[in-house]
Amino acid sequence: MTSVAILQIWIVAFFTLALFSFLYKDNPVYKLAEHIFAGLTAGYQVGLVWDTVVIQKLWDPMIYDGKWWLFVPGILGFLMFARFWPKYSWVSRVSLAFVMGTTSGVFITTQLHGLVLPAMKSTMLPLGGGGGLAQAVLAIIVVVGVVSTLIYFYFSKEHTGALGVTAKVGIWFIMISFGAHFGYTVMGRVSLLIGRVYFLFYDWFGTFSEIF
Amino acid sequence: MNIWERMQVIDRRWVYLMVALAVIIPFIIPMKFPISITPETQSLYDAVEALPDSSNVMLVFDYYPSTMAETEPMAVAAARHFFSKDCRVITLSNIPLGGPSMAENVTRLIAEEYGKVYGVDYVNLGYKYGYVSVLKGMGQSIESIFPTDNSGTPLSELPIMDSVVNYDDIAFIFEVADNATADYWIAIVNAGYGVPMGVGATAVMAPKFYAFVGAKQIVGLLGGMKGAAEYEILIDQKDAAFKGMDIQSLVHLLIIGLVVMGNVSFFFGRRKRSREKS
Repeated sequence: MTSVAILQIWIVAFFTLALFSFLYKDNPVYKLAEHIFAGLTAGYQVGLVWDTVVIQKLWDPMIYDGKWWLFVPGILGFLMFARFWPKYSWVSRVSLAFVMGTTSGVFITTQLHGLVLPAMKSTMLPLGGGGGLAQAVLAIIVVVGVVSTLIYFYFSKEHTGALGVTAKVGIWFIMISFGAHFGYTVMGRVSLLIGRVYFLFYDWFGTFSEIF
Repeated sequence: MNIWERMQVIDRRWVYLMVALAVIIPFIIPMKFPISITPETQSLYDAVEALPDSSNVMLVFDYYPSTMAETEPMAVAAARHFFSKDCRVITLSNIPLGGPSMAENVTRLIAEEYGKVYGVDYVNLGYKYGYVSVLKGMGQSIESIFPTDNSGTPLSELPIMDSVVNYDDIAFIFEVADNATADYWIAIVNAGYGVPMGVGATAVMAPKFYAFVGAKQIVGLLGGMKGAAEYEILIDQKDAAFKGMDIQSLVHLLIIGLVVMGNVSFFFGRRKRSREKS
């Protein structure tokens, strides 16, 4: 293992332990690690956008490939900076209007066609689709779950009587869903902890024999 | 103060200590908890297994380094499965922070195991800004979005891209994700171009993706480290996720125990309080 690789591992181990130290209590070492992480991320994002958007998508094609018309989105992007001066901030609305228009156009169709309609279709399962009784029961549960949950979020009428009972059924479905999410979240967070412990045990401890 | 009341005011650091012990003990004493295969993992494995040999496939590294413990075993297992079937693997990432380099590291490492050659059997397209435009643009032409690979080599110079123009030439997409880009792969690429997809998602995201499995928008799902461990078992290459499942199971048992104890102490404590009031 090269000395650079060992140094790298020690830096990672230091920041891992620094962040874990918060579990005992807040402390300056944790704060240092947190601030360095925030600063690095911000710096990286600025460099990334500069290189992959301004240089690769705007400057290079305009200057070297003769795509002069790209100056239009370039100017629209530049106008966004007008927000820093209250007197001229209205200028940025031109760019924002363009962004909102294109985003709506792309996302409304994508979300409807790609997510909402297939999800609706999958709630309308046939009761006699060849899957037997279990399939039929599942199809009914799906419909009851969808309808009762939607009714729970219907706030234009007081939840009393039949509406109240259905909304209560909806709460049960929502709670079961929260339970599933919580269980999976625990697994996710424990996985991350396992990853860090693996790193400390194998990679970091592994460098000890090389150093000492 | 009785034991139930004392349990309700326990210092959270004791819980952290118990979790730490539950994580460290299986390192020293392996427990070998059983791992069952879920239908979602099985169907994903079956779909990849059913691909004709030498198919063009995409393996997408849409995860940040912070979730590597969960997601990387999925990507490694998927790469192994694809290479074992002699598939031509095209990797890319919509994640700027580390995505392309993780794709590079994983595919190079696994490609070496299977004697695969860069540019012929696999390629890393790297990262481009703006995932919605990237996903839509590749439907017309992959080369128009990625004129070069991650190292700057023009795609026209890479033999693997001779037979690939757009999604029509891709037999399967395996998306490994820890964020919402997976939704867009499904909404834009699967719904728009009909390319079969499988998703490996972090555990936090997994419940949402069951709906996509139910709607048959994705052929299967790997949910968190458990999903990755199942896939490792199916391809007969037990690795990081499989080893981590002992710890997972023990910590889960501990947390179940703590939840039960917390609830029991809460109810007994409440009963005592109401008795004292009356």
